[in-house]
Amino acid sequence: MSPITSTTHDQDALLRAGIDRSLRHPVMFFLTSGAFWLAVSIFLGVIASAKVHSPGFLSSCPLSTYGRVFPAHLNALVYGWGMQAAFAMIIWLMARLSRKECTMVGTILTAGHVWNLGVAIGVVGILLGHGTGMPWMEFPSFAWPVLLISYFAIVIGSFIQFRVRPEGHVYISQWYLLAAMLWFPWIYVTANTLLHCLPGHPVMAAGINAWFRSGMLFLFFTPVALGTAYYLAPKVTGRPVFSYSLAKLGFWSLAIIAPWAGMQKLAGAPIPYFLPYLGAAATALLFVPACAAAVNTLRTMLADRETLAASPSLRFTVAGIAGLLVLAVSAVILNLPGSSLRLTQFTLSGYGFEILALYGFFTLVMFGATYFVVPRVTRREWISRRLIKVHFLFSVYGIITVALVAIFGGLQQGMGQEDWQQPWESATAYAKPYSVAITFSWCLILFSNIFFFIHLLLMWLGLGRRSTHPTLLVHGHHPSSPHGAEGDIDNAGPGHAAVH
Amino acid sequence: MSLRTFILGLSASFGVAWLAVIVIPYLKMRDLAPVPFPESKNTAAIFNPKRTGRVAHGAKVYAENGCYLCHTQVIRPTYAGNDLYRADWGGKKEDPVRGDTRRETNAFDFQGETFAHIGLTRMGPDLSNLGHRMEALRATGVDPEQWLLLRIYNPQLNPKLWNSTCPPHPFFFSKREIKGNPSTDALPVDVGPDRELVPNSDARALVSYLLSLKKDHAVPASLNFTPVKKDDES
Repeated sequence: MSPITSTTHDQDALLRAGIDRSLRHPVMFFLTSGAFWLAVSIFLGVIASAKVHSPGFLSSCPLSTYGRVFPAHLNALVYGWGMQAAFAMIIWLMARLSRKECTMVGTILTAGHVWNLGVAIGVVGILLGHGTGMPWMEFPSFAWPVLLISYFAIVIGSFIQFRVRPEGHVYISQWYLLAAMLWFPWIYVTANTLLHCLPGHPVMAAGINAWFRSGMLFLFFTPVALGTAYYLAPKVTGRPVFSYSLAKLGFWSLAIIAPWAGMQKLAGAPIPYFLPYLGAAATALLFVPACAAAVNTLRTMLADRETLAASPSLRFTVAGIAGLLVLAVSAVILNLPGSSLRLTQFTLSGYGFEILALYGFFTLVMFGATYFVVPRVTRREWISRRLIKVHFLFSVYGIITVALVAIFGGLQQGMGQEDWQQPWESATAYAKPYSVAITFSWCLILFSNIFFFIHLLLMWLGLGRRSTHPTLLVHGHHPSSPHGAEGDIDNAGPGHAAVH
Repeated sequence: MSLRTFILGLSASFGVAWLAVIVIPYLKMRDLAPVPFPESKNTAAIFNPKRTGRVAHGAKVYAENGCYLCHTQVIRPTYAGNDLYRADWGGKKEDPVRGDTRRETNAFDFQGETFAHIGLTRMGPDLSNLGHRMEALRATGVDPEQWLLLRIYNPQLNPKLWNSTCPPHPFFFSKREIKGNPSTDALPVDVGPDRELVPNSDARALVSYLLSLKKDHAVPASLNFTPVKKDDES
């Protein structure tokens, strides 16, 4: 190797180490507090789900009534875990891809604390009975400006980094992340101002709320997870993206289709007739961008079976992308007006679909990215292979049960509801056994995520393994690092990474 | 592609949908044109259904305690669901005066509310015409208000609802000592000697709201989508 390339390589390694060091506390703050909220949310989810089949459970206390615990569960999942995991990935990936160190650590950490305070007040507000009654927007109405301002303070640095980056190719991950960073405030401000500040027609308000939920799923969580997956897949396997034109097709089709989706939840309600049909058509069409991205990243990752078996990042990401494929298929089969939409509109399927998108796809990809990013920013290796394996097994099997049982149990329930010659009670009875299964699998997921939180916390405290060998899922000798040459972690100090 | 073109592209793809799905329908729905009601006695009248009861306060209690998670308030037209066929959901099948009053929900049915609680799932029955179902109880000698309060206090107390999955809400009620005459609002539940169970203000507002749910007013022909019956021709 010539001396010039060696110097460039050293400079590159120094730059990467500098970026990672500058982001150590922001990234670890968002991931760890996110993991805490994830555990809180799943705990509330277990209580809520248990009350569906045993209504008397914990019912004497107003704080734990179903109507408050369930919204607290979903809002903690969306704003506590989902948004914060996304922040961690946005600030880290945008810094790495723009090759700029983070210079706004103080601002980001302060805003991060304000965000957590906002979420905490919101969740407690719901439990104390001050919820607004608008799904996914149940936080008391003073919370949204607080969250919006801290959002801008958190991501503004990443915008600036992108503006001042060295000229060159803009990678597909940057497209997805930038788009998500723009779409979120647009959706969030629209929904909150129109519902809280400028109340219009009550039924249209419900329509805007349904559009907001769909927008959060497909215009924020989906692009963040896809941007992350497009970064991890080639990085860990050391292979180029399978097809770059397919990646562009996936991105622009998402940008064009997703903003129309959502209002199919109001089919038959008195809003203009074209809105639910447009929503149903757009949601079904989301099959195209979801499949394009899923096939593209899967082809990239599955090309290297050996790495796939060993790398926890890759294994979680593949599971998340498989979740995206299931999501793409269910977007079609659950939203056909005239046949399946009437069965899924008011049943467990809606919950199953949201959980599949939030956990079965987004969260699993975020876990994959966490297992990749944390050793780099803390300069320590993961402590225990067994903890990672347990986390993977419980998360994946748990979420498959929750999502599939809710989606297909919901279809059964819908058939019961549509059978108008039978008494209404028979439709309710259909849902009961499925809710028992959901409670059980939330318990499994809770168990694994408590350990995930502890593992993360220990890593942040600097208690990870000091080693140059990454924690992998299988024993055995690898000729080169399974993270690829660029992914090497160098615990001896910046610039000392082995040159391959 | 420069950042400028990229952001323009994103704004165009999102903005068109945003205008078409959110902004324009929102503005149009905000000022619904009054619908003339020539069939009513007053020929200059417009369709303006009235509601009585503590609607705003009751709707707030309904929202804060998550009733919308399990109960819906929409009767879908037959192209979107079978709600209208259920005998007492869309109205009354056999009203002594008006005959079949069942109809789908229309845009004027949510007067007095800022957010229509269309609902998420139907773990429980639709509540669009709960008020009428309760009025029907009155005919059998049951006080609808007390029936609803007991139902909210603990659904399983009612033997007919033994397998209801609706949670009890004892926190809407307080147990207190009887001083002087017992309260006229006290529920017929045994809570110990010289003690009574009385609903608080939220529970009363909720019950008042639930009793106001009657979405089967006669509608003008322009809003009436019921097929014309051909009984006379046969």
